[in-house]
Amino acid sequence: MDVGEFVRLRLSQSMISKLPNLFMGYIRGLKRPLIESAFAIFVGLIVGALIMIIFRHDPIEGYISMLKGYGIFIAKRTFMTREFMFALAFATPYMLTALTFAVGVRAGLFNIGAEGQLYIGAAAASWMAAHVALPSGFHVFAVTVFAMLAGALWAVLPALLKIWKGVHEVISTIMLNWMAFYLVMYLAIYHLRGIWAHITKEALPTARYPVLAGSLTAVIFIALLVCIGVYIFLWRMHPGYELRLVGDNPDAARYAGMSISRAIFLSFIIGGLVAGLAGASLAVRPEKWGFHATLGDLMGYGFAGIGVALVGRNHPIGIIPAAIFFGGLAHSGRFMEFDIRISSELVGAIQGVIIIAMALPGLLALIRRKAK
Amino acid sequence: MVTFKRSYAKAFLMLNPLKKILLRRESSKRSRSAAARKPKLGEILVRAEGICKGFPGVWEHLILDRINFDVKSGEVHALLGENGAGKTVLANILSGFYSLSKGRIYARGKPISIKSPKDALEHGIGMVHQEFTLARPLTVAENVALGLAESNFSFPLSKVEKRIRELSDRYGLKVDPKARVEELSAGEQQRVEILKTLYHEPEVIILDEPTSVLTPEESKRLFSILRAMAREGRGVVFITHKLEEVMEVSDRVTVLRLGKLIGTRKTSETNRRELVRMMMGREVTFRPKRKPVKLGEVALEVKDLHVLDEKGLLAVKGISLTVREGEILGIAGVAGNGQSELVEAITGLREVIKGKVLVFGKDVTNHSPKKLMEAGMVHIPEERRRMGVAEGMTSAENLIMKDYRTSPFSRWTFLNRSFITRHTERMVSEYDIMVPDLWRTETRILSGGNIQRLILARETWREPRLIVAVHPTYGLDLKALRHTHDLFLRLKEKGTAILLVSEDLDEVMSLSDRIAVIFEGKIVGTVDAARAKVEKIGLMMAGSKV
Repeated sequence: MDVGEFVRLRLSQSMISKLPNLFMGYIRGLKRPLIESAFAIFVGLIVGALIMIIFRHDPIEGYISMLKGYGIFIAKRTFMTREFMFALAFATPYMLTALTFAVGVRAGLFNIGAEGQLYIGAAAASWMAAHVALPSGFHVFAVTVFAMLAGALWAVLPALLKIWKGVHEVISTIMLNWMAFYLVMYLAIYHLRGIWAHITKEALPTARYPVLAGSLTAVIFIALLVCIGVYIFLWRMHPGYELRLVGDNPDAARYAGMSISRAIFLSFIIGGLVAGLAGASLAVRPEKWGFHATLGDLMGYGFAGIGVALVGRNHPIGIIPAAIFFGGLAHSGRFMEFDIRISSELVGAIQGVIIIAMALPGLLALIRRKAK
Repeated sequence: MVTFKRSYAKAFLMLNPLKKILLRRESSKRSRSAAARKPKLGEILVRAEGICKGFPGVWEHLILDRINFDVKSGEVHALLGENGAGKTVLANILSGFYSLSKGRIYARGKPISIKSPKDALEHGIGMVHQEFTLARPLTVAENVALGLAESNFSFPLSKVEKRIRELSDRYGLKVDPKARVEELSAGEQQRVEILKTLYHEPEVIILDEPTSVLTPEESKRLFSILRAMAREGRGVVFITHKLEEVMEVSDRVTVLRLGKLIGTRKTSETNRRELVRMMMGREVTFRPKRKPVKLGEVALEVKDLHVLDEKGLLAVKGISLTVREGEILGIAGVAGNGQSELVEAITGLREVIKGKVLVFGKDVTNHSPKKLMEAGMVHIPEERRRMGVAEGMTSAENLIMKDYRTSPFSRWTFLNRSFITRHTERMVSEYDIMVPDLWRTETRILSGGNIQRLILARETWREPRLIVAVHPTYGLDLKALRHTHDLFLRLKEKGTAILLVSEDLDEVMSLSDRIAVIFEGKIVGTVDAARAKVEKIGLMMAGSKV
């Protein structure tokens, strides 16, 4: 062995040669999502500006108006809490449906059943809130729990299909979403109606969540607690640890003696519970304290949740700011229409571009993992 | 679905005229001048000189190191070596699938450069791969036509079919050109592969481990086909790790070991013993000192085990073995002889269709991995990245994969982070695992050796009563390898029973008390490691009856 070879050998065995690698890995592990998200927002804003320019609107004015959705720069005030509360009202269901998707992803599932589970949860909440008389205090609690259980029930079928028959969750949840749609529409028209046929019966005063401002109710506190709870479940409790391990590598999970079926079932059930809560938050809110029989005010939240989850990197805590971002975006539409007379469709398009750009890194990461 | 795929592949077939236009200039330029003259028997068709191959990033160990190799007209030339010797890489270089790093290739004495499989075919070198490269929904003739430059929009398949019939008759390669590939058996599919190559009339045809998918009768038939091709003046290169096949069919044999050329012999002038010595190498590496250990009760007993592989074929055909406390039983064998299936069946990851597995006298056949763990068995898996760790999770999380349910690790289903941190920090320093941050870094970025150490730490820290280990030192450097061997011997002295499966014969020889040799799903013999001769084990591994 000559000297050069000896030195090379020693170097390759020592820590020093591995340091750069390890360092990069650390940076990658921590900073990369943040950088990616920032870049994505930037790209989204640029493309959104281009769209505004093409349609002869001033993008700067447009974006200033968009900030109003978050309560910033309204009527000469730097920050207006009331408008921000509206953004939070939109954010509440987003947060929860995003959680459904995220818990699915953590278990290796592509669970897009939040939409249908949300409908079922809304119907259950509406029935419990308007048609069952219970003592005040307990009534709100009963509405919440009942809606969550109903959502979870709707998630049992895709879970069992997946576990027993290997039916892909995308297929089963999409189909169940439509079943839920028509079922809830039927229930709303024939069994949950109040005075008017097009709207469900108003929730009894005992069943109403305390109103914070506008359409924002105290449900948001429950939603935040749920996010934190899911975080603790996934990262601090051993069933959650199993769930994540199954999602990361089912072969390793099987080798470690875990039950893959149980983890998948758990993931679906948690998703269903949370989506049911999202339904309750939409069905029991001012001004109507009910929902339209067309389901117009329930639709879309489940699917928007996918985007929210991707932006929040499928992390229960990351989802909170992501949901607020989306909530503000949803709320800003009315300002943009009013201020610079952009048609609401175009507002939707601009928001869509931003959302797509933001969701891209998360989506790419997901695809990369799935492809492996 | 099938019809869709079919039309898809058909569309690809129709794109061929485009390819033809693009390639026209090139193909007309390179007329096959060499093929015009029929080679004399014994003439050197292809000669490779000083071939080196390294892959980017691992230049320090060349995969091929100055290999000289030639093929004569009319011979069957066997390329023999263990897994990882570089046989397939050499073949891939000759047939244009890999580029060479250094060295020259001559065809009939003229230097040539091979940049693609197409180039190789132009120079008369064709290869039949170990893995089939067939479009399953298409017919045999369509598959053959796919690779042809002259196929175009209105390509008459009947022409190809006729030619296939001719070739089949000439060599006894019985295949129906109209049959769909997905309906064919493995042996028939291989014949299609051979036909696909023969269609180009190569002078040299290379077959990479062709018998690995064949039944013994099919192999016999293949050998007569090989002989027929050689009789016609072609040079046949036959890659294998089975000695018997070399002795049966080849005229000459070249042995590679770890990327180095060991030598070329005339088959008639050599014997099995010499070839084994060439194949295995015989610089005896260190043998750790062993104290005599008193054997305890039977820890693992396997009785007449039958297990299927992925394809549903019988991979383990009635294996019985026992391992006692304080004993290491080594299983030696060339990869793919049923070891993986055997281990997976013992560890509860694969269904046992017949036979029994007993751990400490308790019948645990087809029990879940969790039950087996509770019975006292730990498993060091073969594919560490696929099975041994969850790469997206942190090192700490991976280190507790087997213990997280038990008391100090979790209390009331809550993970005890502070205890886990203390425990994993101890593991990391004891087993010398290099991890930047236990709770932050994804295991993905750890090197293979570090992952292996992580798995060893996780599986052995409790001093288990029974270990099933597959290639436990794979990818470790010499120091870590020695540590691991010492660890195994120390555990053994404390009364652990170890079933050691490894392709590394040195490892099996230096650790085991007894060695069972596995070949084609059966234990062909068990020998006492202290008195065993490497040659004898090598012969058994190669399927030779001793």
